[in-house]
Amino acid sequence: MLAMNPTLLVGPSDWDPGRMPQEEFAARADALWRDNPSATGAIVYGDRVNHAELAYLTNFTPKLEAALALIPRDGLPQLLVGGGVNMLPAARPLTFVADLRPLRNVGKTVAEWARAQGGGTPVLIGSTLMPYVFHQEIAAALGSKMGDKTAELRRLMGRKSARELAELRQTCATLDAAVAAMRAAQRSGAGVTAAVLAGEQAANRRGAQEVRSLFSLDRGRTLRPFETLVERAVDPLQVYVAVRQLGYWAEGFAVLTASPHPCAERADAVLRSGITRMQAGERCSEPARSITQAGHPLHPVTARVVGNAIGLALQEHPLIAGGCEDRIEAGGVYSLRAGLSDERGHGIISAMVAVHEHGNEVLWSSPEAA
Amino acid sequence: MRRPSTVAASCFETHQRETERDPLTFDERLAAIRASMIEHKLEVLVAIHDGAHFIETPNSVFVLSGFKSLGPAAVVLSCDGEASLIVTPAWDVERAAECRPGLRVIAADDVVDVLESACSSHGSHGGKLGIAGLAATRWDIAGRLAQTLPQASAADDIVFDAAAAKTVEEIAHAREATRIAELGYARLVEIARPGMSEDELALELKWYTKTLGAEDNFLLLCAGPRNPAVAPSNGRVMQRGDTLVAEITPSYRGQLAQICRTATLGPTSAELKHKYELLVRAMNAGIQAAHPGAPMAFVCRAINTVLEAEGYGEYCHPPHIRRRGHGLGFGSIRPGDVSLDNDTVLTEGMVFMIHPNQHLPETGYLLCGEPVLLTGRGAEPLTKHQSALFEIGL
Repeated sequence: MLAMNPTLLVGPSDWDPGRMPQEEFAARADALWRDNPSATGAIVYGDRVNHAELAYLTNFTPKLEAALALIPRDGLPQLLVGGGVNMLPAARPLTFVADLRPLRNVGKTVAEWARAQGGGTPVLIGSTLMPYVFHQEIAAALGSKMGDKTAELRRLMGRKSARELAELRQTCATLDAAVAAMRAAQRSGAGVTAAVLAGEQAANRRGAQEVRSLFSLDRGRTLRPFETLVERAVDPLQVYVAVRQLGYWAEGFAVLTASPHPCAERADAVLRSGITRMQAGERCSEPARSITQAGHPLHPVTARVVGNAIGLALQEHPLIAGGCEDRIEAGGVYSLRAGLSDERGHGIISAMVAVHEHGNEVLWSSPEAA
Repeated sequence: MRRPSTVAASCFETHQRETERDPLTFDERLAAIRASMIEHKLEVLVAIHDGAHFIETPNSVFVLSGFKSLGPAAVVLSCDGEASLIVTPAWDVERAAECRPGLRVIAADDVVDVLESACSSHGSHGGKLGIAGLAATRWDIAGRLAQTLPQASAADDIVFDAAAAKTVEEIAHAREATRIAELGYARLVEIARPGMSEDELALELKWYTKTLGAEDNFLLLCAGPRNPAVAPSNGRVMQRGDTLVAEITPSYRGQLAQICRTATLGPTSAELKHKYELLVRAMNAGIQAAHPGAPMAFVCRAINTVLEAEGYGEYCHPPHIRRRGHGLGFGSIRPGDVSLDNDTVLTEGMVFMIHPNQHLPETGYLLCGEPVLLTGRGAEPLTKHQSALFEIGL
């Protein structure tokens, strides 16, 4: 789900070798080289909005300006950090990469580094996420050697390791705490902003590095981000919360109300039928069909796309949507949602689902509406 | 209709005007942009933004619509008055429609797909077309857009120059953002303690300013015995004796305002007090120097002069310092940096930061700065309390 991108990331993002040791990153790089046997290295872009691939290979979250990792097939990586030499001390705790340098003269730096790797072809990761001018500099530097392998890396990222799954479980526990705090605040009569911020604070205090939320002021018909204070209380309160902790995202929808909510109950039944289709090897279109063709009017927010893989990015590939022929993979973690909307009411609920070789596991699901 | 100018001034008025002009309304600014389009023989102007809001990146869609989007968005503006806002995700269309009644709002799954047909319907049939915001837009959108509209010329100056002076609404929002920033700082000195990590403090502060109505906050915060710069927080645990520096920059309804503050965790040394007073003097010299008709470089020079007189001339240039302030978005970030190479002529209604933020060899990096509104009488600080070194009692 898309929520408002903040202008600066402020939460805890330091590298914790106890939780994500360097051998985990080495194994990821090895897998990248296996998939790209002729690559002499990798040039990996990330910024504060899009940096899942950069974080996957370096643990680095660019909180302020963009960063570029130069990872040789043999040898030690460099991390070029935006903002000048004085920003390097603050960036150092965020990564295991020891060689940090300011990000300057992008084209010249990249061209020289590529030449130093023997003149072969480095793979490029995240090139479509670069700003237009930045991309032009890289393209001019690499010329015909510009081969973007982001999609291939994302396939590797889709299969979560045991350590990653452990982190995702913890993030789901924080998501649960956030939704519970919102629910408690809403039931005690808190206004919309107070209820949402109660959840955000609960997540922060459990170590979340970022929390994003959406909510509805019209009984779930539309969603909106925080724009200004809303002091009135609403019931039902439809919320969406995305929590990022230790680098990994979990997201969820919930209908918070003191009364029975038939629409959310119908959505729950639809979601459960979709979850049963979340099996390794199944086409992504199958759970989507199960949800969108259940015979209920669909909510506009979830009418086309009912889910996606999730992890270091809030929305990873593949999408769970009609027409998507990608396969659901064992080792993948997915966000799946069901939203219904008609003249009687509106409700969106969701689940975080880990898919195993045999069967699946619900890591988190929306609480019952009432 | 007056329009801000970025033309270099070879000379400028040094007297202060006695009268003030009313700030522009949103519609007056839009009319000025259309007039500029006609002047530049542009039939249609396309504004594009990819949804990655950043203090340093102006947002042409926000300038033309007042809408802060979740995802990629665009505005198509005809010189004859028609305007369309293209919004992704499609389900966000109703919120977009609320922000500027009368604006035609189009829900889209892919902003580039919809832009092509929108340009046609706005009458760009071979007429001259301009585009604003392309350079900062991410490649998967910008690259396609450049191919779709190969005839488009850069029109950033038309949009952002016109928005260099804030509207009535933006000025009110800047005042409110400043109020929130000051309350945020009061909270910071109340809760900052040794043993707390920078990240914890930053998260708490960001959350607190949200409870006051800030929808975002560009919050740089760090601490140390001698900071090399102000940087994003990390997991460092603060210690007694640290100097804590913070750029608190809440956004209220899309308008940023910033205060730059320095506090110590525990007793402040006499030397630090002395050096901080020097920065305050330098800042006040900059504030005094800022008035309509002056080029921005004049403000920077006034700040540097105070520091140079105390023997810190070499610290007035890179790598120690890049600028002495900056514009405040999220719309236009004009008048740009308070720097020696910025010859933008200041005009009434501009809102920008004046911060002599300085690394000094004896103290490390110190923050000291206020947001100001340029009026006929000069630069009016938007803060109630000016920067002063604060000692957090332990």
